[in-house]
Amino acid sequence: MEKNKYLLLASSLGALLLLIVAAQDSFRKPWRQIQSSGRGDEGPIPVQLRQITNANLRVGDRCVSCHVSMAPGEQSVAGAAIFTAHKPVVHDPAEYGCTVCHGGQGSATEEADAHGAVHFWPEPMIPVRFAEAGCGTCHAALQVPNREIFQRARLTFERLDCAACHRVDGRGGTIRPGGGGMEGPNLSRAGIAGYDKGWYEKHVTKAAKEQSGPWKTSFGTIDGADLESVALYLSTRVAAPALIEAKATFHSFGCLGCHRVSGAGGDEGPDLSRAGEKDPGQADFTHVAEGNGLDRWIAEHFRSPVAVVATSQMPPVAASQREIDLLTLYVLSLRRRELPGAYVPRDRMQATRFGQREFASDGATLFGAFCAGCHGPEGKGKHAVGGTTFPAIANPDFLGLVGDRFLKETIRQGRPGRRMPGWAKEGGLREEEIDRIVAHLRELGGTEGPAEDKWTVSSKPESGRDVYAANCSGCHGAKGEGGKGPALSNRVFLEIASDKYLLETVSRGRRGTAMAGFQEPSPTRRALARSEMESAVAYIRAWQGGKK
Amino acid sequence: MTVMPGTPQSRLDPEPMPRRDLLGLASLWSAASALLFALLGAMRLPNAAIVAAPSKSFGVTLPESLPAGEAFVPPNRAVAIFRDSEGVYAVSTICTHLGCVVKPNAEGFECPCHGSRFKPDGAVAKGPAPLPLQWLKVKATNGGFQVDEGKTVPAGTRVKA
Amino acid sequence: MSAPATPPPALQELKDNLRAAPRRIFETAFRSGKPTTDRTRSTFIFSNVFLHLHSVRVHRWTLRWSTSMGLGIATTAAFLLTLITGILLMFYYKPYPEAAYQSIKDIHFVVPTGRFIRNIHRWAANVMVVTVILHMARTFYTASYRRPREFNWLIGMGLLAVTLGLSFTGYLLPWDQLAYWAITIGANIAQSPREVTDAVGITGWFDPGGMQKFLLLGSDSVGPEALIRFYLLHVMILPLALMALMSVHFWRIRKDGGLARPADADQRLGNPPGPVYPVFTEAPMKTYSLAAIVRGRTPAVGKGPENTVPSMPHLFYAELGVFMLTTLVCLALALISDAPLKELANPSVPENPAKAPWYFLGLQELVSFSAFVGGIGIPLLVLAGLGLIPYLDREETGTGEWFGGPGGRYVVRQALLVGFGASLAIEAFAIRFGWIREWYLAVPQLVVTILNPGTILAAVYGLYSVWLVKRYRSTRAGALGLFTCFLCGFLVLTAIGTYFRGPNWVFYWSPGDWPRH
Repeated sequence: MEKNKYLLLASSLGALLLLIVAAQDSFRKPWRQIQSSGRGDEGPIPVQLRQITNANLRVGDRCVSCHVSMAPGEQSVAGAAIFTAHKPVVHDPAEYGCTVCHGGQGSATEEADAHGAVHFWPEPMIPVRFAEAGCGTCHAALQVPNREIFQRARLTFERLDCAACHRVDGRGGTIRPGGGGMEGPNLSRAGIAGYDKGWYEKHVTKAAKEQSGPWKTSFGTIDGADLESVALYLSTRVAAPALIEAKATFHSFGCLGCHRVSGAGGDEGPDLSRAGEKDPGQADFTHVAEGNGLDRWIAEHFRSPVAVVATSQMPPVAASQREIDLLTLYVLSLRRRELPGAYVPRDRMQATRFGQREFASDGATLFGAFCAGCHGPEGKGKHAVGGTTFPAIANPDFLGLVGDRFLKETIRQGRPGRRMPGWAKEGGLREEEIDRIVAHLRELGGTEGPAEDKWTVSSKPESGRDVYAANCSGCHGAKGEGGKGPALSNRVFLEIASDKYLLETVSRGRRGTAMAGFQEPSPTRRALARSEMESAVAYIRAWQGGKK
Repeated sequence: MTVMPGTPQSRLDPEPMPRRDLLGLASLWSAASALLFALLGAMRLPNAAIVAAPSKSFGVTLPESLPAGEAFVPPNRAVAIFRDSEGVYAVSTICTHLGCVVKPNAEGFECPCHGSRFKPDGAVAKGPAPLPLQWLKVKATNGGFQVDEGKTVPAGTRVKA
Repeated sequence: MSAPATPPPALQELKDNLRAAPRRIFETAFRSGKPTTDRTRSTFIFSNVFLHLHSVRVHRWTLRWSTSMGLGIATTAAFLLTLITGILLMFYYKPYPEAAYQSIKDIHFVVPTGRFIRNIHRWAANVMVVTVILHMARTFYTASYRRPREFNWLIGMGLLAVTLGLSFTGYLLPWDQLAYWAITIGANIAQSPREVTDAVGITGWFDPGGMQKFLLLGSDSVGPEALIRFYLLHVMILPLALMALMSVHFWRIRKDGGLARPADADQRLGNPPGPVYPVFTEAPMKTYSLAAIVRGRTPAVGKGPENTVPSMPHLFYAELGVFMLTTLVCLALALISDAPLKELANPSVPENPAKAPWYFLGLQELVSFSAFVGGIGIPLLVLAGLGLIPYLDREETGTGEWFGGPGGRYVVRQALLVGFGASLAIEAFAIRFGWIREWYLAVPQLVVTILNPGTILAAVYGLYSVWLVKRYRSTRAGALGLFTCFLCGFLVLTAIGTYFRGPNWVFYWSPGDWPRH
């Protein structure tokens, strides 16, 4: 009977011991230790759980239990490095909380959990070097040009040495001697806050009036093109310089040709509108060299899409490490959060409600954002080994033969059955945008199109059968279904292409491609007579059916 | 104990219990049936008459470049839509085994829960799924398609755009 | 007028009464007085509503550790722990999809002691499942289900079912991926009678499976309705059912004369050490048979000293000891390991692998061959088999003894071999070569439902036990074999489901071989 008493004694003492350990444990929370080392204005700060709540944003972030100086009204806590105050931003962290911008797990109170490094937390913190990706949660920077244009604008801004007086993105600016703040206003947020559109005239007048000082020595006249570049650069100053550059880079690789972002773009690849909040737990990290952060996955995916996602059809993005970093930053910024009306920023509102574009509307940017992926940044076409050949649409020979109508209609309707999608669709391109792309193509090729030509062939289609079979079917297929060369029986193609265009292409060929001109003989065949070419064109034309 | 009329009863004898006590039986049985009926009524309550689920029928626009044999999965729907030369068809991606969501891949579908595999047309390629994936009703509409997750059609039914 | 030297008698009385009130409150609460002698202890027990579940005196056999191993008390203790911690968790838990997940996060991170309490709740629930199964095994192997305890065995099975139900319903409440997909699978197992009705072609007008699933979920899929239903089951319906069954279970133990013991228990124990104070003397104060409450004779009249000891304190020390030991185990587990909480439930991406709680993984392994057989057929068969045991085995040898009955230990050892051997063999075969559907695609579902590793295993076990009945001319021998076999099968299947099944329910030797995600 005694042994039951021993059992009771031992297990009770054990339980008591464990409870004491558990109680100890709850007093040894890391945040308690961190807070007890903090010193506020009036001595030690009270040790307690702190949080930022915002019911509208559905925020309840306990991050401030460790990062105390970011809590409302506790900006001046001194002590460990963790008490460094937030750098000044438009959005007061005490109102917006932390996770809206930085991601992570707001309800957690331990570092690994809070920063989302643990398994099972789907929204880990955005790495600090990509911090600006957080802006994308709510904001949609508008009218961002492609990288080339953007670089040019930035170089112009630097060449003109505007930073001598103005501070931009934490650089430049001079403090006015004798007090009175900076020489010129800070331009870091010129793109949001706006700026005086008549600044140049005012600068000129002021420079003319002043007899000495920086106005006399530093300011000179600026020509029209440079003024435009400066205006463009200013419009992109939204306090997120890296994000803007990232977006400009994204608009240079033709990504929108296959991917949709916020309702604009192609449907070949997955919609990327929320690609930045992909749950890393759902991503396959088998072939990602190091780390398990989403940024690592995205970067590796840019380097070799097929290696990361076996079924991917995306071509590798031939880009430098810096460009991959920028693209990664942009993809990370593609995230959303449900916002109450009052919190929807103006740029996002303009994008979603008023149809403002996130890409600039000039032809070069549009080409860079939509076409460059397949047709190459200069429109020289692309040929993937064993894959599809993408035509060199900036080819002067080609552009010399086709009218603007041909180009526009091709962009509008695409080539059913081929990779080229029609862009006159929801989420595609607008009429004026197509016009600008065509104008840009003309610039690239340096060729005007021919005048509209109503000439049609008069030969009988049957007469061209043999000519076609002997000379064309090798590349274009026996029934014009396409092979190494483009499909000719394509309904839309035939509708758009005039007989003149077909004939001229046959006779002159297209430089830089496998299509040789048939008016000249080649080592393997004789030249074709014009009548033969006409009959072949008639034969091709017959595939269009009834309509001529 | 049956009560015999006229039998003298002692005060100490147990209370006689009649075998046929009409009043008692009637009262007990009516109480039982009332309670049974109440129970049946109460059992109706958890059996919801209508559920607050989103409509099972939804419209969808297929991307023009969708290759034949590749699945298009509309967001938040357990449906894979295909287009081939004969037309458009929709296959439910809910596993017929235990209701997990199957993933379309190159060889058909694969279920993560118990490893069932299906051919591209939904037929079972590997157990334990007892039935092929269901084909859902598709209707061509203006420029798109209307898919009804609630209505099944025989496998092989395709719709022309 | 001068003040009276003494207060008026009424006031004096009030003062005295007030002074005596604490003592009187105690006396009226415990009318038997201080439990210092055997007699007052006895009165203390049977005049106390909570304690009178115990008999006043308890046989020394009952107090031997090997008799019951305290497993029933351990189960009760685990239940009490889940009850208390569960009620505490209800202070913060919100049964609505996303709020549920967030509230568990809150409990984990900021509620004072929240994480610890939740861990205790989770571990006590697991301990309860383990002990209830072990308790059942103990009852079986000591043949304690025999007359007059047959029905209590059935109630015990009900308790097992409710315990598993409590565990399962609690699984959904955190509303994470683990929860969501385990419950989706569970709800579809409830729907699996369709496998048969579909094969026969009568689902259109007779669909018990669909009805079960709909009643369980309150909708077509796991959503807010399902969560509130599972919550209701978890915190109200099932606990009430458990407590009702528990009361009857305990009451019957008392009515059936305490724990079963061998007929010759007294001889085996020998004389009790030390002096013995018989309560019932030659002239008992009262006899039970006179009160016409209990069948049989007075337990001890004329028998002289006997092998019982007062429950208070001997039995209470034992019970409290087991209770504290269980608490200790639960606390230790709660300190060592956190209850899991995966990412928020996502209805469009199944967890891979989606695993139910460990004690259902044996069934899930069977389910991966046929939903109906694994989820409903075999469990029903096992329950029916277990329930019939006390009514088929009406022998008397070996009651109250470990592995008592014809064949005894030898049969159990042999059955261990058969049980492990058959289950491992059939699993190895199915894992290596696949099953019928992999060989003949077109085979009708009914064939797979009837012929699959689960049914074959059940058949092997059944035939083996029939052979045992013939060989030993004893139902008890067959029962020993069958129970042992099913226990082995449960262990093997559970272990395979827990440790060797990875994504897509593919066999892996270790989780390290899983494709990395």
